[in-house]
Amino acid sequence: MSKLIASSAIRGAHSLYNKAEAAYNAALAAKGADQPVSFPDTAYYLPVAYALLAIKVKTLGDIQPVLAKAKSMLPDIPAEDAWLPYLGNTLDSGIAALLSEEIIEAMKYVMGPNPVEGIWLGATDDVIVRTQGIKLVDGSMPGFAAVVGAAPTTEEAVKLATELRERNILLFMAGETDGKTMADQLNEAGVEMGWDVYLVPFGRDISAAVYALGVAARAAMTFGGITPGGMKEAREILMYNKNRVFAFVIALGDVDDEKYATAAGAINFGFPVIANTDIPQILPTGITTYEHVVSNVPLDKIVDTAVEVRGIKIKITKIPIPVSFGSAFEGERIRKEAMFVEFGGQKSPAFEYLRMRDMDDIDNGKIEVIGPEIDQMEEGKAYPLGILIEVAGRKMQSDFEPVLERQLHHLVNGAEGIWHMGQRDMNWMRISKSAHEKGFKIEHFGEILKAKLMDDFPAIVDKIQIKLYTDADKMKEVLEEARAAFIARDERVAGLIDESVDTFYSCTLCQSFAPNHVCVISPERLGLCGAYNWLDAKAAHEINPTGANQPIIKGETIDERRGQWVGVNELVRAKSNNSVQQVNAYSIMEDPETSCGCFECVVAILPIANGVMVVNREHTGETPVGMKFSSLAGSVGGGAQTPGFLGVGRQYITSGKFIAAEGGFKRIVWMPKELKEALAGQLKKRSEALGLPDFVDMIADETIGTTEEEVMEYMAKVGHPALEMDSLLG
Amino acid sequence: MEVKETYNGKIREATIGLGDTAVTVGGETSLPLYMFEGAAPNKPVIALEVYDTKPEDWPEAAIAPYADVLDDPVKWALKCQDEYKADMICLNLASTNPSTGDRNGADIAPIVKAVADAIKIPLIVYGTANADKDAEVMPKAAEACQGKRALIGPVEEENYKTVAAAALGFDHLAAPHSPIDVNIAKQLNILITQLGLAPERVIIDPTTGALGYGLEYCYSVMERLRLAAMTQNDSMTQMPMINQIGREVWKAKEVKTSEADEPAWGDAETRGVLWEALTATALIMAGSNILVMRHPKAVELTRQFVAALTGATN
Repeated sequence: MSKLIASSAIRGAHSLYNKAEAAYNAALAAKGADQPVSFPDTAYYLPVAYALLAIKVKTLGDIQPVLAKAKSMLPDIPAEDAWLPYLGNTLDSGIAALLSEEIIEAMKYVMGPNPVEGIWLGATDDVIVRTQGIKLVDGSMPGFAAVVGAAPTTEEAVKLATELRERNILLFMAGETDGKTMADQLNEAGVEMGWDVYLVPFGRDISAAVYALGVAARAAMTFGGITPGGMKEAREILMYNKNRVFAFVIALGDVDDEKYATAAGAINFGFPVIANTDIPQILPTGITTYEHVVSNVPLDKIVDTAVEVRGIKIKITKIPIPVSFGSAFEGERIRKEAMFVEFGGQKSPAFEYLRMRDMDDIDNGKIEVIGPEIDQMEEGKAYPLGILIEVAGRKMQSDFEPVLERQLHHLVNGAEGIWHMGQRDMNWMRISKSAHEKGFKIEHFGEILKAKLMDDFPAIVDKIQIKLYTDADKMKEVLEEARAAFIARDERVAGLIDESVDTFYSCTLCQSFAPNHVCVISPERLGLCGAYNWLDAKAAHEINPTGANQPIIKGETIDERRGQWVGVNELVRAKSNNSVQQVNAYSIMEDPETSCGCFECVVAILPIANGVMVVNREHTGETPVGMKFSSLAGSVGGGAQTPGFLGVGRQYITSGKFIAAEGGFKRIVWMPKELKEALAGQLKKRSEALGLPDFVDMIADETIGTTEEEVMEYMAKVGHPALEMDSLLG
Repeated sequence: MEVKETYNGKIREATIGLGDTAVTVGGETSLPLYMFEGAAPNKPVIALEVYDTKPEDWPEAAIAPYADVLDDPVKWALKCQDEYKADMICLNLASTNPSTGDRNGADIAPIVKAVADAIKIPLIVYGTANADKDAEVMPKAAEACQGKRALIGPVEEENYKTVAAAALGFDHLAAPHSPIDVNIAKQLNILITQLGLAPERVIIDPTTGALGYGLEYCYSVMERLRLAAMTQNDSMTQMPMINQIGREVWKAKEVKTSEADEPAWGDAETRGVLWEALTATALIMAGSNILVMRHPKAVELTRQFVAALTGATN
């Protein structure tokens, strides 16, 4: 805690209190205690006093207890040689300052001069608070800034106002620097002001800044449903503001005692202070979400700094690209004849890589094309393209890198006339002739990714910068880094086993049609739709804490071999509406997991063959179990436990936990050729890991037979290991 | 032997409107109409539809009861209140639909205010379920009827922040609308209450299907919401429910077709009235608390049904 700030704030609070008391006494002498006092058109009396003290000021006489309370909160002014002020004292003096300022302003309504004069708007009525509050709640207005003082020049004032308005941040103005206010500056420059244009000049005096807190206090009472009553409610009102009203103070120019005191008042609401002058900082967090006072910020960085320090999320409503964007365009293909240029696809070096950086290492929003732009490219040719996305966020984790990176496919495909497939350094992109004609450039890849990643993942992405390499030499270094990262990620995923974590995730996305189905997603068993693995579910939970993916603390192990835990059972019981009592994550025979309807594959036992078959959704032919996929799906799905049948994601087939309770991978006796080919690499790897390098060839497919008898003949011929295993039926 | 189920859940009570004419719904402590197992302190109530512009596509039988007031939402609302004894008025802002009138919030605000000020009974105001348009219109509508504690809907997944915030800011109730989906219904309730709206100010709109047009699907979703509310004590499903019956029923082919076109189907009015009443009674059995209806005769039949089942008199 800076002694300088504390001392100044306390002195400022004393000064404001004295002014309030003098104004009050003058009004009382002139008008008497019964004189009505109110701000125009509000049901919240003097809103700050009402919110914090539950005092309903209706007459001059009602102000007495407010003054008394303000006085009681005034700490003694610290002596020059004493080192005593603490945050608590400063915060108290901030409250005393706000209460005093509100009285000062209220006395203007009683005695004049009318605070509404010229450009100044004075107190805010309830309808405006409600109308603007809706924008705060729905995020279309991400927050508000209270500017005290004036910018060094009129041009800088206009620029600051423009920067805030571009982000839809409402700007309140009060207080002057050397006789000038920011509102004066905007007025001189001919900038129109008012609530409709997000520029609100409250008043010339610093005391008018209290109107901003009056808006904040009423937002909490109106939208937070908090009725003032005492300390508890006052605290709730302050907490509501801290957590939901993303406001901050910008202090321009010299910060005098009264401004310090007002700023201390704002800190009580969780509103940090950003200053362009070299005032002492209060960096440790506590009352505000992040830092309290950040100073010496150049004017052109002040908005970004404020946005970061307050944790404000800006909504991008329209992506600035010359082609349409939407999921309707995701499915379009661009054939060679329609293509202007292409990238990757074995024709040129290309990659896409997203990595996490520190907050300070990111120049937020910057998009850089390193190498030639599209106007230097020739029709029909392939060019290098490396996409490096760097993100930072206070809640970002390196585990979320691949989750975000994978979004690139559907995000880029969302643009009309742009086509993407593949991932990592095996991607392939095309820009169509029509998109090129409309003016689509390489930099627009950056615009899409910036806008969508910020907008779709506000919980984890605070800042983003994007580099687009179209120069093969210049991308080399980053490509090497990317490849190293891909290897490291694969190792991380390979090293992630169920035993290494204590938390699994539930997925109940499918309950709309399978009301009792719950997927239990563990590192070694992904969701049966194949779309959500453990890392995805973890990220999804971080992004949407009330969504379909909830953490499951495994709890005590009931059966290690079959994969049964106390915590998992409890969750499945609750989420399945009590219809499933227990599940074994690794068993197909005893209490298997339920299936919804979206499984990529069905695993079914072949009792005579003593093994299992796996059939994928795409396979339309007969299978040895006597049913096609479609009939099988009907008997497996719907959220019921069906021993002997299991809906699974493809990746689970080669997992170490694949029906481990029944002997695992070696039980597989049949799968369609197409599936074998699609998973060839992984199947081989898993076979080798089990010491059975030729195992994949022992698995029959439809070219060998589609009856259990034919499969058994083949098994005998190749010596399939399932023949030697314990009977499946026990 | 008498077998009774005991429930650990309870539907919240919600009050729409203020003062003497306020209407309270909900409060059930058993599955719908299982009066032998629990209490149902508030009977289902009926709101009559009023539109902000003269409807173009209504069949003759639906127009007849309102022929003299279709041009004037205020007179229309008063007729519903005074002559047809509606428990509430549901003002539909159909003219804001972008594909028809596309009027904006400022255009309809005076209509909302005029209707709200004219009637004594509680008001429901519904947008057109066009998420973007409602996000613009409903805050203005909510402002126009502030001080009435109206029910504002539909609140959709895509615009819940704006529309629910409007209900919150202007002290109304909100009707989150989910597409026949228990999970979305529940998720929306969670999101809306996290926004700050008290659960006592939430009425679930589970989407209504008319008889022959998805009624059974709608029924089973409502049934599941009630089962979750009663047997699992799932707090985020324990809100009363509203069904938009009139507008669904009166666009069904079986209701719109005239007797001249299908003589075998019989009198068109009787057909429409029965169609609407049957849909309404089925939904009451599924747990509906607020039935938004169109034809006064269907309302009458539905009231008789409610009276017969609950012993209540009107």
